[in-house]
Amino acid sequence: MAQVTYLEAIRQALDEEMARDPSVVLIGEDIGVYGGAFKATEGLLARYGWERVIDTPISETAIVGAAVGMSYLGLRPVAEMQFMDFIVCCFNQIANYAAKSHYRWGAPVPIVVRGPSGGGVHGGPFHSANPEMYFVHTPGLKVVCPATPRDAKGLLKSAIRDNNPVLFFEHKFLYRRVKEELPSEDYSVPIGKAALRREGRNLTIASYGAMLHTCLDAAGELEKEGVEAEVIDLRTLLPLDREMILASVRKTNKLLVVHEDTRTGGIAGEIAAVVCEEAFGDLDGPVVRVTSLDTPVPYSPPLEERFLPNAARIADAARRLAHY
Amino acid sequence: MAESTEIALNREQQLELYYFLRLNRSLEEQLARLFRQNQIVGGLYLSLGQEAISVGTAYALGPGDWIAPMIRNVGALLVRGYKPRGILTQYMARYTSPTFGKDTTSHFGDLHVRHVVSPISMLGDLIPVMTGVAMGARYIGQKTVAMTWIGDGGTSTGAFHEGLNLAAVQKAPLVLVVENNQWAYSTPVARQVPLVDLADRARAYGIASVVVDGNDVVAVYGAAKVAIEHARSGGGPVLIEAKTMRMCGHAQHDAAEYVPKEMLEQWKARDPVARFERHLTEQGLWDKRTKEALDARVQREIAEDLAFAESSPFPPPELAEQGVYCEGCHEIAPVWQRPVEELLPPKSSVRAEWPSFAEAAEGRPGNARMPALAEGQTARAAASGNGARRGRAKAAAKRKSARRPARPKARR
Amino acid sequence: MAVDVIMPQMGESIFEGTVTKWLKKPGDKIERDEPLFEISTDKVDAEIPSPAAGVLKEIKVAEGQTVPIQTVVAVIDAAGSAAAAVSPAPAPAPARAEAPTAPAAPAAKAEAKPAPAPVAPRPAAPAAATAGVRGDGHGRRIHSSPLVRRLARENSIDLETLTGTGAGGRISKKDILAAIASGGSVAARPGVPGTAGAQAGGPLENAVPRERIYFGSYEVQPMTAMRQKIAEHMVASKRVSPHVYSIEEADMTRIAQLRARAKDEFEKRNAVKLTFMPFFLRACVQALRAFPTVNASADGPNVVLHREINLGIAVALDGGLIVPVVRNADEKNFLGLQRAINDFAERARSKKLKPEEVQESTFSITNPGTYGGLMGLPVINQPNVAILGIGAIQKRPIVIDDAIAIRSMVYLTLSYDHRVVDGAIAHQFMGKIKAALEGWNEEIL
Repeated sequence: MAQVTYLEAIRQALDEEMARDPSVVLIGEDIGVYGGAFKATEGLLARYGWERVIDTPISETAIVGAAVGMSYLGLRPVAEMQFMDFIVCCFNQIANYAAKSHYRWGAPVPIVVRGPSGGGVHGGPFHSANPEMYFVHTPGLKVVCPATPRDAKGLLKSAIRDNNPVLFFEHKFLYRRVKEELPSEDYSVPIGKAALRREGRNLTIASYGAMLHTCLDAAGELEKEGVEAEVIDLRTLLPLDREMILASVRKTNKLLVVHEDTRTGGIAGEIAAVVCEEAFGDLDGPVVRVTSLDTPVPYSPPLEERFLPNAARIADAARRLAHY
Repeated sequence: MAESTEIALNREQQLELYYFLRLNRSLEEQLARLFRQNQIVGGLYLSLGQEAISVGTAYALGPGDWIAPMIRNVGALLVRGYKPRGILTQYMARYTSPTFGKDTTSHFGDLHVRHVVSPISMLGDLIPVMTGVAMGARYIGQKTVAMTWIGDGGTSTGAFHEGLNLAAVQKAPLVLVVENNQWAYSTPVARQVPLVDLADRARAYGIASVVVDGNDVVAVYGAAKVAIEHARSGGGPVLIEAKTMRMCGHAQHDAAEYVPKEMLEQWKARDPVARFERHLTEQGLWDKRTKEALDARVQREIAEDLAFAESSPFPPPELAEQGVYCEGCHEIAPVWQRPVEELLPPKSSVRAEWPSFAEAAEGRPGNARMPALAEGQTARAAASGNGARRGRAKAAAKRKSARRPARPKARR
Repeated sequence: MAVDVIMPQMGESIFEGTVTKWLKKPGDKIERDEPLFEISTDKVDAEIPSPAAGVLKEIKVAEGQTVPIQTVVAVIDAAGSAAAAVSPAPAPAPARAEAPTAPAAPAAKAEAKPAPAPVAPRPAAPAAATAGVRGDGHGRRIHSSPLVRRLARENSIDLETLTGTGAGGRISKKDILAAIASGGSVAARPGVPGTAGAQAGGPLENAVPRERIYFGSYEVQPMTAMRQKIAEHMVASKRVSPHVYSIEEADMTRIAQLRARAKDEFEKRNAVKLTFMPFFLRACVQALRAFPTVNASADGPNVVLHREINLGIAVALDGGLIVPVVRNADEKNFLGLQRAINDFAERARSKKLKPEEVQESTFSITNPGTYGGLMGLPVINQPNVAILGIGAIQKRPIVIDDAIAIRSMVYLTLSYDHRVVDGAIAHQFMGKIKAALEGWNEEIL
């Protein structure tokens, strides 16, 4: 079985779902003839035609708005944001149209808005963002952040099949860097369930996206010092898998949350509050966060490196927590 | 463009138009009274003076077509089959409202029977959404048209531009009715847009447009009919500018003292309901008894529905927590009206290449200004009872003169 | 029927209005929707139509006066039908000036709290668990953590006796686990979490919207603390324990005759009144010894079998009830039980019971029969798994050896928690009580 990259896994998910269900259509900028800025939709126009792979003007509001309208006819549109940084250009359509439609008037909006997010690629302030928390804060949406090729494919399928608007934050750093063997049969990964990546006794590290791999690297280092870290991949930020996080905290009694998103308002704060509310008596130390700085993403490599978390910083925080 | 569009109205249809106008007017008068009796939770927005636009445009649609009404398009909802109780319970926040109390005004819809899409409060966003509805309907093989309305103020938003641009490029079967009622809250239209005719915006998108007297329900109907058929037959979107005047404040809490009194007086004389009444009388289409029967029917229906609304309970508090997500409560599937094999390989396969530039230029849609139907034109034709003097000869003539060359002129 | 005319809210940020002109005077007839008065607000001036048809009875706010929105400005004597009258309008979110005027602090609390679905299972240690810092007698602050404090409490370990090896000398999980493992504590006792469950009654909720409670004329009495506690406990008990009932009848003739014979002597000798209760208690003790699962508590998936037999006796009070506990009832003789019962009853009514005297029951008994009830179906006193209800002792005709005899009979009801106790056990348990009562052969003098 060949090793499939994270990007190819995404393309496979789109291809397979479009073959399975003619109500799935793609809409976005440069996704047709060009195959997408990152080639996520390569070959799909040739297979499925102009009606199903729609190239649009530069109009994020129109892209998402049209996707919402098409979904009212029973279709399942997948809208691409060329960079997820641009998703805030259509914030109103997502937050006020898509998210509230079912709650207000019982009209479900089965759309997916997907695109590359995250930094570490010298993209600068407008091509490296992690905008997920604007939307975790918005009831009615689902927010998914896969870290592995298997999950990217399986979660995208679940997102397409979901009756609710799902924002699918792919990590561009992982597009060609991670590879995995994928099952040959059709499979999907459930939204709303985290994954246990590594078992451990001394502390729990929870993360998502590219940082998951950095945490696993750190955990490998810690093991040599006799610190066993349990690593959880959140996979979905909304709805959050509270059960797995709490069960792990009840076991290890220490929690470290790592994310590439900026510190203030990141998911780590939300997780810390949940753990305090529901497992306070199980904490043998404070909930610690390792995150990016509270700044826009800088461009020059030494600046971006300072901005992002890395394995050494994660291991350091974990070490101190383990010995608290 | 459609060659033989049926735009004549027979007597029965004209009486029906009157019924809807009267129902629209009386229902909103009742809502105004309820507001002053503290029965309405939140704000109230009325379409006083603009009823002919909502009623006339909606009346021209086919049964499978889609609409997305804004807050001043109650008339369109009534034409579409909603009863006064639907609107009353929305404003009165009752459990029996179409949204069970979750939202107010015209913020409701029905995907499956009446094909109505709910608006949101932000202006302009309905245009990309209805563009998507139009594209989606076309995709599943339907020949339906999507219609929505927007005010002069709403055309200033980015969403208006992005939506209409996409609709134009996609040649979506969308009819956009711009209600130029001269005021966006307290801002006069001259401060809102640097144009006299908002229909001129259509030229920027290369789409057809028409200007019509928004207080003449028959003219509005006629313009809408032509626009709808143009869109339905693949001619691309059409922008209808209906000129009218907002005869009340932006909302019931707005006294609108910024509107010059003379302006209101001028437009009062052109009240669409009174005008149509005069027309029906002058054309001999009704007598006193018929009018009284229609008015009584309207009063009765409103009274019945008001009693229903007043005796309806408020929603149970637990409802606030429900309905955020759709988890198995709806079956979502398109109603295919084309063979789906066309959408799967091998039938769907294409060469993933752009057509040559010459081809692309030729395919650009025309941006002709469609003829505004003369006031009362089709009504006169219908009064004779034997069908229509169709406007097509006149329309064709005007079209010829408005056609543009295929290659766009260079602009400085 | 009187219909209130109120000052309307003419815009989202409008909170008051001025009456500028009354168009009708008291005694005038008025039609529905007919203009009644004129107002002026910051945003608009408006003519207000009448909400009902009838006669204008009273004007409460004069011309020129400014009042808050929702104020009643006039009253109309409406003509008859409910359809004509306007139901009291719901206030928009800010102003909630509803008709019920009682201060009703507890009722208001009950209304403001969210409905069922509790946000989280309660943390095992409520307010007690502060930031993990305690002082010892020498003014030294002991650093630990919520986990450590909980484990210490659950295992009755005094943190002051431990040395910490965590950061900064903190007592860490490792330290407390080591202390527990080295047997430094009493055998695991069910700690606070168990009893905290009984308090987890949660806020008092209503089954219908408040609007349906307040109608006509009424008086609101805030519940006393005892009443609220009882209310919370009853709701929690019914919610948590699936209540099933076993009913038995016992022939009390023998005991009644014994009591009649021995009463005077007993009371003279012991200076304590002789009632029926100690007979029942003794019978219970025997039955509880034979069926220990009825002398238990449930903790999630565990059954906690209590080794002591502590009997809670429900005592009715003015406006409530209280359940003092006879500890180690199996170690008391008949006289000891009677003394304890009478003493509790007296001190309960005079409010002289100590807190420890109303805790740690393992089984409870209540006596609705004293008020004449034939039998009762009592609510289990948490965290017990059963409660015995004793009906009135009455002479009834019963069948003995195919003949009718008049005997002193009593109905006994066992309410039991079906999570722990099954029907077979319950019925056998009751059978044992019945046998003990009917075959009483103990000397009481």
